[in-house]
Amino acid sequence: MLTILAALVVLVPLLMVQVGIFTNMPLLQGYPDLILLAVLAWALQPSVRRAWQWSVIGGILMMLASATPPGVYLVAYALSVGFVSLLRRLVWRIPFLTMWVATIAGSFLTHGLSFFVLQLSGRELPIGFAFWTIILPSVFYNLLMALPIYALVGEIARWTYPQEPLYEP
Amino acid sequence: MNAGLRNLQTIAFLLIALGLIALALAGYLTSFSRALLTPFIELQAWVYSRYQVARDLLSAPQDIVQLQQRNLQLEAQVSQLQAQIIELQQQLAEARILSALVDFARANPENRYQAAAVIGRDPSPFLRYIIINRGSDDNIRRGMPVVTQQGLVGRIDAVTANAARVQLITDSAAVVNAKIQPSGAQAVLKGQITGDLLLEMIPQGAPIEVGNLVLTSGLGGGYPPNIVIGQISGIRSQPQDIFQSATVQSVVDFSQLEIVLVIVNFRPVNIEPLIPQEGQP
Repeated sequence: MLTILAALVVLVPLLMVQVGIFTNMPLLQGYPDLILLAVLAWALQPSVRRAWQWSVIGGILMMLASATPPGVYLVAYALSVGFVSLLRRLVWRIPFLTMWVATIAGSFLTHGLSFFVLQLSGRELPIGFAFWTIILPSVFYNLLMALPIYALVGEIARWTYPQEPLYEP
Repeated sequence: MNAGLRNLQTIAFLLIALGLIALALAGYLTSFSRALLTPFIELQAWVYSRYQVARDLLSAPQDIVQLQQRNLQLEAQVSQLQAQIIELQQQLAEARILSALVDFARANPENRYQAAAVIGRDPSPFLRYIIINRGSDDNIRRGMPVVTQQGLVGRIDAVTANAARVQLITDSAAVVNAKIQPSGAQAVLKGQITGDLLLEMIPQGAPIEVGNLVLTSGLGGGYPPNIVIGQISGIRSQPQDIFQSATVQSVVDFSQLEIVLVIVNFRPVNIEPLIPQEGQP
């Protein structure tokens, strides 16, 4: 319950900022995906055992705000969280670099899936233009925003789970 | 004797004094008085200047503190005034937009409009939608056209009670039936992922030129007729092709949308049941 509350406290304002502000400040035609970054940052917190709730809430919020076919963000965020879980098993410590690795993977996954589904729905999206003008700038934008979001979500995780980290040896 | 002498001296003194006053009033003593007073005045000025230096030296620290406080107060006041100026400029810009929209509504009395503010954009960079602050509570329905005083913006795609999502004509899935003026040629306008507008299906023989006006045709029932879309900015025509195509420069600056008008008395016509399906007679 506390996890869901924390998700709403973080993700709803981030969505408002994303929809109201960052969509007016594109890098070429790319926007940052603050919801994805928050979900990834939450999944990377040592004190967090399950992050799927955040991915579901984030996916639903994006579904409400975006005209992207329903389910794309749900699936993309779930896959991104799965990738982070894999990273956490492989990497003993979770440094900031892991956040960047997760950001790159999650961004390509989300945009790749969006692109694929939109193509299937009949839109004409030239892949070269989409990659160089939308996907790549969005990934860079996400990398720029990754650390501030990681720090913010880290604070929220410390408030949500004030006990000692569960993964400490 | 003494008394007489004293009276004589007094009279002589008064006469000399009166004489000097008379000479002074007549202006004969000006140069003399100047020569006499100048050293005194200079001395007085020097003394006073030394006094001022000494006073400043003694009272300077207090003055600096007061000046700093005053400076802070004034800086705060300047900040407040600058904030007020920005707010007023925003209000002025909004008033200008609203004024233009009111003019537009008056010029097109056949339509009823609902003004709405743009409160966001679609978070997906692949899509071109805006979110407005009017919804079904304000009689906004799916399919209603959205315009500004300049021209066509798009149409309502999804509605909630207090907000709606508008598909811009630049969205890659947007299709608008259009006509070209002055030739009257019919065509289909499609949005592009690049944000450009492409006019397709223009008959090969249609006389079109760069600068021709593009309007909604009203065919298909998706949009009301004669709403300005833009101007032709480039033509692609190959003799072997059946149709010509053209790029269109929209009259609306989609990156600067703040307030839009929804045409609330227009109901789109669903012609899908009339389109013959494959395998059906």
